[in-house]
Amino acid sequence: MSRVNTVLGPVAAAELGFVAVHEHIGYGMPGSELDTQWWKTPEQRYEETVPKLRRFAEYSRGYGGCTFVDATGICNGRDVDYYQSLSAKTGVHIVAATGFVGGDTALRFFAEASVDYLMRQFVHEITVGIGNTGGKAGIIKVGVSRGFRMKELDLRIYRAAARAALLTGVPIFTHLAVDVEPALAVFAEEGLPLDRVLFGHADDGVSQGKVNEKAILGGGGRIGFDTFGYDLELPDPPFWGRHRRERLEHFLRLIHEGHLDQVLASADANCSPLGWPGVKGHTVNYIYEQLIPDLRQEGIDEATIHRIFVENPADFLTLTTN
Amino acid sequence: MKVTSPTVNTVLGPVPADDLGVVSVHEALLSVVPGAEHAYDITLDRAEIFEILAKKLTDFRNAGGQTIVDSTGMFHGRDLRLYEALSRSTGVHIVASTGMGPEENLGGYFLTPQTNPPTPWPAERFADLFGKEVTEGMVVPRVERRGAAGLVATTATRGGMTPTDESLFRGAARAALATGVPVSIRYGVDAVTELQLVLDEGLPADRVVVGDLDRTEAVAAGWPTAVAERGAFVAVDHVGRNDDDAFIRDAERAALVAELVAAGQVDRVLLSSNAVGVAKGHPAYELPYAHVQTAFAPLLASHGVADGDIQQILVANPRALLTVR
Repeated sequence: MSRVNTVLGPVAAAELGFVAVHEHIGYGMPGSELDTQWWKTPEQRYEETVPKLRRFAEYSRGYGGCTFVDATGICNGRDVDYYQSLSAKTGVHIVAATGFVGGDTALRFFAEASVDYLMRQFVHEITVGIGNTGGKAGIIKVGVSRGFRMKELDLRIYRAAARAALLTGVPIFTHLAVDVEPALAVFAEEGLPLDRVLFGHADDGVSQGKVNEKAILGGGGRIGFDTFGYDLELPDPPFWGRHRRERLEHFLRLIHEGHLDQVLASADANCSPLGWPGVKGHTVNYIYEQLIPDLRQEGIDEATIHRIFVENPADFLTLTTN
Repeated sequence: MKVTSPTVNTVLGPVPADDLGVVSVHEALLSVVPGAEHAYDITLDRAEIFEILAKKLTDFRNAGGQTIVDSTGMFHGRDLRLYEALSRSTGVHIVASTGMGPEENLGGYFLTPQTNPPTPWPAERFADLFGKEVTEGMVVPRVERRGAAGLVATTATRGGMTPTDESLFRGAARAALATGVPVSIRYGVDAVTELQLVLDEGLPADRVVVGDLDRTEAVAAGWPTAVAERGAFVAVDHVGRNDDDAFIRDAERAALVAELVAAGQVDRVLLSSNAVGVAKGHPAYELPYAHVQTAFAPLLASHGVADGDIQQILVANPRALLTVR
């Protein structure tokens, strides 16, 4: 039986439809909740979020449904009962993550925890639920702390995630694909096949020249072009932005080189950011409004688009234990 | 001419300083290691937490205690609505604190912000964050502001102050200077040097309490006397802890207090226990909040400290510290 954990319960992979595999309902660094400059009323949060999800659902009608994978880790403002209400009211499947965006987003309690404890935390959130919401995580987030070097705590989280993934069958996605060799070593030591790992943000502007694509692809890993839309052409682009054309050509190159099964794409947009201003105008719907038209313009056919946004993510998100 | 009587900020609003009575300045009500609220195996049963704390506060009150200062800052389990309800139902004044520290207790928002490069927060931003918790009210994260903080509390890293610890100390001092509430510092490796950091910001020494001065190394180094001579408050604040070589024992604490009194520093001494009402994510430390009054005050008397001096230490000194200027 193929199943994927969403915040409202397991669904068959065939029900996922069009998948945005790396998004955020709202992301904030731990501690940002103390700074009133970012606070929003519940009304404002729903007002900023619901129309984006409804539009995503409308755009996705032809695909039979849609799924929003939220990449917000523990301590980053992850808010599962809110996601449950959003999903129930908009019809968008929402997959929540366990894990951490990186060691530098793990608060002290977790920063001091052992691999075994972290694994139990992840497994509990996948099999029992997150907090008292009953919503189960469908994926594990791990990542590299700021500075582009894997730190000891980052790797402790990677190892715990690998063990939890093997035990529960959920996949892993990473924040950043830089300094990947230590991560590859951990996954190899733990025996996790690399097709269960999506190495994310391989496309961002600041990572270029620092991602060992050959090792990731050669080992069977998946590569995330998941910051589509953070374009340097924006009026006020973030520091990780990249020229639109350059990112697109990078993506097309991997497709043309025969790596179609290993690529996934997303926008990493915040519906309603929690602890930062966000990037005005950038939403999950960039995928439909800019990226897919760009791909069609470049001669990418519908079957390939289907592979990237429907089949590949369904295969990736399906609980898989060997 | 309008005469305003001096007040202290409690979770239920300003109260006349003369109403504080016996005060314990360095205690914890609900203490949660940052992040532990998300742990799969930790539950935060609010009704149960209330019941435990209400019992402990009532015992404190029955032993003559009237005011508890929760000195854990803004990011270690502080729960303002809980504390308000506890204060209303037990009659104990509760002073809550703003501030954070040491660095390892901070969230990534302050240490690796989403800027390039990820420069940690400087003192000025901490000063603004803490100051607004006094002038605009303490935060219930992402929900609302409540009453004014009565203290800015921060702590240095035990292995030595980090640059962010220094920003926290300076920011705390600036917030205190701007708002009139006092500062509490718990030192990392050198009480006197670290005290100097907050004094360098222009904060008068009598607006500062230095905690942890009953650590064995602090007493050996003579820091209690040195801190008192600089005019700051000396917190002998692990009263009741007698099983840890990192701290002196109660008999030595009594001797230390007697020594400070004999040296004419009675108005610089504060006593507290660092008891933890409810601990989440770290080991419990079960000690009645009233331990100072019930067990240690008699011990002080037996060391020859006069009743008037004991009253000064328990009532007048914390009142002077906590009164908003």
